[in-house]
Amino acid sequence: MIPDTQGQTAKPAAKYRSQLRIYVDMMYVIQRENNEAKPTRILYGANLSHDRLVKYLEELESLGVIQEMGADDKVYGLTQKGIEFLNNFRRVESFASAFGFKI
Amino acid sequence: MMEFIACVIAIAVAYQAMKAYKLAKEKTLLYLNLSFVLIGAGLLIDGLSSLIGLLVRHRGFLYLFGVGYTINFLAQLFAYGLLVYAYVHQTRNLAATTEALAAVPILFFERNAVTELILIFLLVYIAIQTSINYSINKNTNSMLVFGAFTSLSIAHLFFLLYTVKPLFYPFAHIAQLFGFLLLLAMLLRVNHPA
Repeated sequence: MIPDTQGQTAKPAAKYRSQLRIYVDMMYVIQRENNEAKPTRILYGANLSHDRLVKYLEELESLGVIQEMGADDKVYGLTQKGIEFLNNFRRVESFASAFGFKI
Repeated sequence: MMEFIACVIAIAVAYQAMKAYKLAKEKTLLYLNLSFVLIGAGLLIDGLSSLIGLLVRHRGFLYLFGVGYTINFLAQLFAYGLLVYAYVHQTRNLAATTEALAAVPILFFERNAVTELILIFLLVYIAIQTSINYSINKNTNSMLVFGAFTSLSIAHLFFLLYTVKPLFYPFAHIAQLFGFLLLLAMLLRVNHPA
């Protein structure tokens, strides 16, 4: 680590999440919530700001991997395509992780 | 025969890495794919040239053994060099890359101590990286990959010893095959989780 001007140790640079990683984190939250996740749950679970949450929810909906489910309250669930994508991603993640590569 | 089995497994790993790259667009996965394509191609060429050399049994075809080995050596050199680069790329330590890629390909036409030492150097580096990964992840798949690269390092150590004593030749092939079988076990576990 590089010492800063006050002689303290600087924090290592934060690694930014890729867009794919954010999508997957959001979908994992939905799956953890038994496929019925409120936006606030997704916001906290995937560690997002409100603006980005709205943006990414729209994008995931347009990709057909999540859908709005609730009648009164807004609740999101994974579609069949979303479930298949997540299973596929889990395999890929497990393969990459076996070699020590992060996705 | 052992070369062909190892070749099929290497191509299967390359295929899985390509699938992973298509999904994640992560460069390290592309390097992994390319390195296993090279390993598979090298093993196939080495296997085929040895097979033809053995079947024809004509003095004129003896050079085929050397050509096959040379291509296999160069393929492995680039493949393991690429894997070392992938690990270094991930840890953002470019100084080590220069060291690892400093191994200049020279045309050798027989299995010898220098070529084997270069491959051992690269493989030991990869085995150390995979052991670090296993110590962090502590899962079976990481252990299988670590075991595979350790076994491949041992195989090349036996190939090195073979240059002194021919007795080590079959052990080298068995260790090499065992390494690829461990990779196959990892692939099966990834695609068919319990």
